[in-house]
Amino acid sequence: MPISFKEVSYTYSPKTPFAYEALKGVNVNFTEGKITAIIGSTGSGKTTLVQHLNALLLPSAGEIEVLDRKIKANIPVKDLKSLRKMVGLVFQFPEYQLFEETILKDVCFGPLNFGIEPQEAIKISKEMLRLVGLDESYDERSPLELSGGQKRKVAIAGILAINPQILVLDEPVAGLDPQSSKAMMKLFVELNRRYNKTILIVTHNMEHVLAYSDDVVVVDQGSVIRHVTKDEFFMDDDILNELKIAPPAIINVKAMLKAKGIELKGHHLDLESLTDAIVKEIW
Amino acid sequence: MNILEIKDLSFSYDDKSDAVDQASFTIAKGSYTTIIGQNGSGKSTIAKLVIGLLEKKAGTIIVDGLELSSETIDKIRQKVGIVFQNPDNQFIGATVSDDIAFGLENHCVDPKEMDDIIHHFADEVNMLDYLQHEPTKLSGGQKQRVAIAGVLAMAPNILIFDEATSMLDPRGKKEINDLIDEIHEENDMTIISITHDIEEVVHSDHVIVLSEGKVIMEGKPEVVLAKEKELKALSLDVPFAYKLNKALGLKGIKLKEKIHMERLVDELCQLALKK
Amino acid sequence: MDSIALGRYIPGTTLIHRLDPRIKILSMLFLLIAIFIPAGFYGYLVITIVSLLALSLAKLRIGFVFKALRPIMIMMIMLMVINVLVVKTGYVIITFLGFEIYSGAIYQTLYIFIRLVLMIVITTILTATTKPLELTLGIEDLLAPFVRFKVPAHEIAMMISIAIRFIPTLIEETQRIMKAQASRGVDLKEGKFKEKIAAILSLIVPLFVSSFQRAEDLANAMEARGYVPDAKRTRYKQLHVDTKDRIILLFVILILVGLIKIAIFI
Repeated sequence: MPISFKEVSYTYSPKTPFAYEALKGVNVNFTEGKITAIIGSTGSGKTTLVQHLNALLLPSAGEIEVLDRKIKANIPVKDLKSLRKMVGLVFQFPEYQLFEETILKDVCFGPLNFGIEPQEAIKISKEMLRLVGLDESYDERSPLELSGGQKRKVAIAGILAINPQILVLDEPVAGLDPQSSKAMMKLFVELNRRYNKTILIVTHNMEHVLAYSDDVVVVDQGSVIRHVTKDEFFMDDDILNELKIAPPAIINVKAMLKAKGIELKGHHLDLESLTDAIVKEIW
Repeated sequence: MNILEIKDLSFSYDDKSDAVDQASFTIAKGSYTTIIGQNGSGKSTIAKLVIGLLEKKAGTIIVDGLELSSETIDKIRQKVGIVFQNPDNQFIGATVSDDIAFGLENHCVDPKEMDDIIHHFADEVNMLDYLQHEPTKLSGGQKQRVAIAGVLAMAPNILIFDEATSMLDPRGKKEINDLIDEIHEENDMTIISITHDIEEVVHSDHVIVLSEGKVIMEGKPEVVLAKEKELKALSLDVPFAYKLNKALGLKGIKLKEKIHMERLVDELCQLALKK
Repeated sequence: MDSIALGRYIPGTTLIHRLDPRIKILSMLFLLIAIFIPAGFYGYLVITIVSLLALSLAKLRIGFVFKALRPIMIMMIMLMVINVLVVKTGYVIITFLGFEIYSGAIYQTLYIFIRLVLMIVITTILTATTKPLELTLGIEDLLAPFVRFKVPAHEIAMMISIAIRFIPTLIEETQRIMKAQASRGVDLKEGKFKEKIAAILSLIVPLFVSSFQRAEDLANAMEARGYVPDAKRTRYKQLHVDTKDRIILLFVILILVGLIKIAIFI
């Protein structure tokens, strides 16, 4: 089933002197069942784009199809809740949405809002808390006394407990230390592989794009300018230059060697094939 | 000469466990030191202790020959400038120039001299065109540059960056890292940077590794960053050059350089030439 | 947000914009006092003419002022209804649905209405032509003589300016939390009373938590840059009173004195 944008435009504060067109006729088809990285510089419209997926923002023009639902400009969305149950959206710095007295209650908040029976909600909430790596001893603690990274895990468990088919993550690891970031990215991969969730991740981290995504969507000045597989993306030197994106270290080595007159043949997206190519060139 | 000396410094938030536990280290004048460690290892706590935002439980902090106490705290705050993590939560002024003026006002600088000082430091961080802008409307990188100008205007001897780039996008990160390098080189400023960016550590003069409030390792980056096992045990990463060096070593190419990518590439080039 | 006109600054370089904020605040206070002098309809006519003059000098559109009036319209209508029901002086003008409406009620209501509108128009002229920061500086300076009576003039000004500085940040934060909770199925419009309480808590608690975090961060940043609340400090922005300021103030004082005279004669 499609997750697609057709000629979608969005203007903030329309008809005022502060009007700002954040999306300009976006066309894109996200592939179901994959991990898609959405990249682009700050202010390119990435966040605006993903907030259309669960109708937090409604398009000023154009049409969005999410699974079996259609969202059109100027037509109120019927049955918002069922849409938001299908598409779980994790905001940047989600730790700022925790409010209940206990961690378990906070995770249950979403499922209960969506009409899941209390017992079932508790069961799935516990399951999700274990999945993000918080054991039973956390269930009855206050979310406010946790560290930043743990709070974020609780917030993400809170969305997972809704059991959405599509998981949209807006810079989920911003501000975390590298180790916590890695653990969290691996969790998303597991959700994709084991639970077959479609995952869209807005990110600035090219190492993560290289290591964990299947597809890459590039947003620039309110338009989607590329939608390619990860391999295609990193093999295309032009786009990396054009977007002024600092490439991941592996890709960068090739450019550094080339600048010094050693040209490696082929494309190398992992350490193994990179070292093989270097050995071939030098021996 | 040491500009900062920390001896047996301890601090506790809750009286149960020590967030900083008998930490001792010194920092040389004009050096660029990075402090690494997992979240909760006590990095930011030490920064707050040095600037007197937290009160130590035990130990001594000596800044530029002056021991930190309630009498010297004002003087020490003039010697040590700090830029914090969240760009949104550290400006006070309604415009960029008002914000740079804030520290000057606190130190009773004559208002007639302020304009010149503000201009000079706004220029230093490349924000001269934004003097009348509201800080809220700037990008993350620009906000941090304003914060740096505000701190520089107080003519400190030491600049501390407390994860000052961790909330910025790659462009903002590069802006700030380049600016830090520039300030370090041109003004011979002592820089202490608390960071998670291993590539920044590679380019520093000295690195301090913290774990559970203790100084676990300390030294030149080429020595500390090559201790893969010890770093892994602390869940810290090694630089990419180290990984490449190791992978090539397994295939029979032994290289000397372990942490600097540029030097490693140079070495490879020389090998290729010999062929 | 964009539709809010009450208290909003409209950038400009007119004479009124350029006046010293202290003079503007004092003029506003004098005119507000003038409104309460019982000088009859002539008094109000004078103040209305002065207000219109100031509006045109500041190049503010009448439409903007009406926008500013809108939020308090309901309050005004309530006042009118109460007045009409309660006041029983004068003679009966009209009987409406069994209620006798007295002439006294109409006059009373009209007085209150005119006073409220004038008050709002005058304060709007001040806030629309003065940057929030200048307003705070003005308040600080005007309060300075009262420091000897333990009025914390500087602290009050600092608090106001920090509040102003954080308003856009908090609005943004609120919107973000609302969207985040909407994604977790919060529906502020529908739902039972109990659900609504939970929905409101889910906004307010996170907003408090993040505001405290911001407050702590800001306090740290201020202290680290040498701020000590009660210590002596200099000020970058200096205010200057010149001839035009003196003339305006004199003009307003003359109006005030004139109205007092009229009131005495009546």
